[in-house]
Amino acid sequence: MVDDIQYLRNIGISAHIDSGKTTLTERILYYTKRISAVHEVKGKDGVGATMDSMELEKERGITISSAATYCEWKDHRINIIDTPGHVDFTIEVERSLKVLDGAVLVLCAVGGVQSQTITVDRQMNRYKVPRVAFINKCDRAGADPYRVVAQLRQRLNHNAVLMQIPIGLEGGFSGVIDLVSMKAICFEGPFGEEVKEGEIPSFLLDEAVSKREELLEAASMSSDELMEAILDGSVSEELIHAAVREGTISRELTPVFIGSAYKNMGVQPLLDAVANYLPSPAEAENSALDMDDEEKEVLLSSDPDDPLVALAFKLEITPYGQLTYLRIYQGGIGKGDDLVNTRTREKLKVGRLVRMHADEMEDIPGARAGDIVALFGVSCFSGDTFTDGHVNYSMTSMFVPEPVISMSISPKDNRSDTNMAKALARFVREDPTFQSRVDGESGQTIISGMGELHLEIYLERMKREFGAQVDTGIPQVAYRETISRRAEFDYVHKKQTGGAGQYGRVAGIMEPSEEGGYEFISKVKGGVIPSEFIPAVDKGFQSCLKKGLLIGFPVLGMRITINDGKHHAVDSSERAFVQAAIGAFKQAYPRAKPVILEPMMKVSVESPSEFQGNVMSSINQRRGLIMSSAEDGVFTAVEAEVPLAEMFGYATTLRSLSQGKAEFSMEFSRYAKVPESLAEELMSRYKERSRRREP
Amino acid sequence: MNDFLRVSPLKILEGSPYKELGKGNLGVLMARAGVGKTSCLIHIAFDKLFRGGKLVHLSLKDAPEKITSYYHVILSDLVKVLNIENEYEVRTRLDENRIILAYLKESFDLGRLRKSLGNLVKEIDFALDTLVVDGVDFAEAGRGMFEGFKAIAKEFDLEVWFSALSHRHITEVNERGIPFPCNTLDDLFSIIIQLHSTQSGVFLRLLKNHDSEALSDAMVRLDPNNFLAIE
Repeated sequence: MVDDIQYLRNIGISAHIDSGKTTLTERILYYTKRISAVHEVKGKDGVGATMDSMELEKERGITISSAATYCEWKDHRINIIDTPGHVDFTIEVERSLKVLDGAVLVLCAVGGVQSQTITVDRQMNRYKVPRVAFINKCDRAGADPYRVVAQLRQRLNHNAVLMQIPIGLEGGFSGVIDLVSMKAICFEGPFGEEVKEGEIPSFLLDEAVSKREELLEAASMSSDELMEAILDGSVSEELIHAAVREGTISRELTPVFIGSAYKNMGVQPLLDAVANYLPSPAEAENSALDMDDEEKEVLLSSDPDDPLVALAFKLEITPYGQLTYLRIYQGGIGKGDDLVNTRTREKLKVGRLVRMHADEMEDIPGARAGDIVALFGVSCFSGDTFTDGHVNYSMTSMFVPEPVISMSISPKDNRSDTNMAKALARFVREDPTFQSRVDGESGQTIISGMGELHLEIYLERMKREFGAQVDTGIPQVAYRETISRRAEFDYVHKKQTGGAGQYGRVAGIMEPSEEGGYEFISKVKGGVIPSEFIPAVDKGFQSCLKKGLLIGFPVLGMRITINDGKHHAVDSSERAFVQAAIGAFKQAYPRAKPVILEPMMKVSVESPSEFQGNVMSSINQRRGLIMSSAEDGVFTAVEAEVPLAEMFGYATTLRSLSQGKAEFSMEFSRYAKVPESLAEELMSRYKERSRRREP
Repeated sequence: MNDFLRVSPLKILEGSPYKELGKGNLGVLMARAGVGKTSCLIHIAFDKLFRGGKLVHLSLKDAPEKITSYYHVILSDLVKVLNIENEYEVRTRLDENRIILAYLKESFDLGRLRKSLGNLVKEIDFALDTLVVDGVDFAEAGRGMFEGFKAIAKEFDLEVWFSALSHRHITEVNERGIPFPCNTLDDLFSIIIQLHSTQSGVFLRLLKNHDSEALSDAMVRLDPNNFLAIE
């Protein structure tokens, strides 16, 4: 193994759910000798895949948390983050993409580019992650890697180019032809560990030559040298590798590999591709914000001798305490080093430093730029930046979507009460898209997240890992309120109850803000409201935004401009102006024609084409707006926008209307006004609840 | 939206006795590669949508995401050029009245289209009145394909607009002056419009409008930046 950053790869494995990425990771670990035996996801041996470390994941056969691991392949060290496929856990995918330098995009040879592939691909584009594609499950009935390549080009706009072609398909899939070496590759031995090269079968020679020409044409776009060599007839394997590498790193080319992880075919060439084509940390551009220089963006060097900059991208609870996953961007870290948390300015000492291998770990003395490691006993939040104190940098904040669904929970007994609190504190630290709060009025604990499944998983983890038994309420949609027109306010807060009174007058305009957020503008002149009380007015208005007057949900998109007011030399105070602003809000809000907004989800349903009508009808019944329907072979993907409130239980409906053959994914799209009838119903329910709470 | 209708490419029909394609009929916009067929076809779609119609955009080459982004980019241009203030409402209204059907990787056949249109009408009550079709290879499709579209136009009571690719090197013209690739199909089309680019600008030329004669002067000049008719 070479301890050089050039030989280090930090990769993610991302895909649509059930594309076989966990199986693929398992095979990678086996071939790189990190594990000595292969276990399947939902395996009959009852062990489960190594990367599915949580009990729950083993049971459900899906990957929830990103388990990190590393392996070695042909002098290269490879850190792998296995990412979840379900959209509800997108924050995990986003986090891993942030810390990775490259990725393997796994596609199913039958399903092709699916809804979640599109989401994951968009996320990879956001973080400029170079990728290689792996078309898995070529042994399945209906496998068609050529169709998948066409979809990569057509639907994801990739300049996808086949690096291999299959030898047989479906039940007859027996190996691949490498279009660079022009050799047939077969995988022998009980687990395909023996890679055998041979001559290309004559019946595939023409096709191989033709596909190699396509490969050379695409690769030569990234390399003048290769272009010249093609014209001279002196193309070497090294030249092709160099050109494909350049094209991949610049994201102008996506090399495509094929295989069947389950049948132990095609994984070793994919590992070669990771080593050959994906960038090392030194080739990836990373930047941080200099907190001492007005958050100016600074490029990080990947030099192990420069000051340390590392990002905590994942936290996990273990029997030994909190485990913090770190990506080191610059400098190095060693046992006993002092670290500074940029957010809190707290200092801490590095105790145990480990390299993770799914849920097993290996103690290491130190790590350097590019590495992904884990620390024990560090108290921090996910997304915190650590330095050695010589710089005050923060890594660019990650995009964190707002939760769209919430649910009340209450412990079943005293023991569960304590454990629930512990669990919630842990989950909130681990996952920024999961939130927990206590409702001031009902006293209930409310948890919020990105979807039904997201919350369900946490409830189950609460039960299994923390022994907390809880009762749950009905899932509630995260409604919002906003105003639809301009209204003026002029409010005097006056109170005289003996002693010093309270006096403050605020006047101005409340109007919709196109930006969607809250804006406060003071145009007060002549000191009618003294400048020291202006922040109190702002504070008063902001306090009202937390709970709108229609249904008690937060208010979005409001601009407040104050242009007049009055104060009293003795009776005016910060408190009086806060109250004056609250009064002004209550006065103007009803006049500003407030409306209720609901989260709209972008829903994608994939099904065999014969169910298109049923799918459309099911969306229509849910107040959904169908945007498109794309038929590709025998499958149809219907894209729609549907209110989240209507999506509860959709998985069951969809299963029944498609004989279990359809699947869907959804993600937040935007907030939209609810229909009048629903608005009235929500308001009357809110009034009823408020009335019941009144003494 | 009257502002748009004043500069819509379909303004070319204003001076003719037939001011619209009419239900049950086929119309085609033909141009050479790179002149702006798809953009101009989407402007025709906007014309229909802004008149309150319901439309299906049928794509045989691009995925829905790409078509949607075409619509959004063109709408953004329109917002700037026509000073549209309520862009959000306009976009929402257009989205409500337009559905994209895509048939990728040679998945298309008329039977599938008929079924999908039937699903839209029956399952979601989407009573479309216009079908815009992009990506049909006129040179390869064969007469049967267009006869099938004509039957669909009548069955669903639609007007159907196509884009067709013409070639510089194929100069065939039929006796009625209709060039390749519509020269053998012009009896099936009620309106044929040619989009062509010259050094002096981009123009629309009306080659056929139902049974109307004397069309030689029916031309509209387009702004090459946004394909809107220059008033």
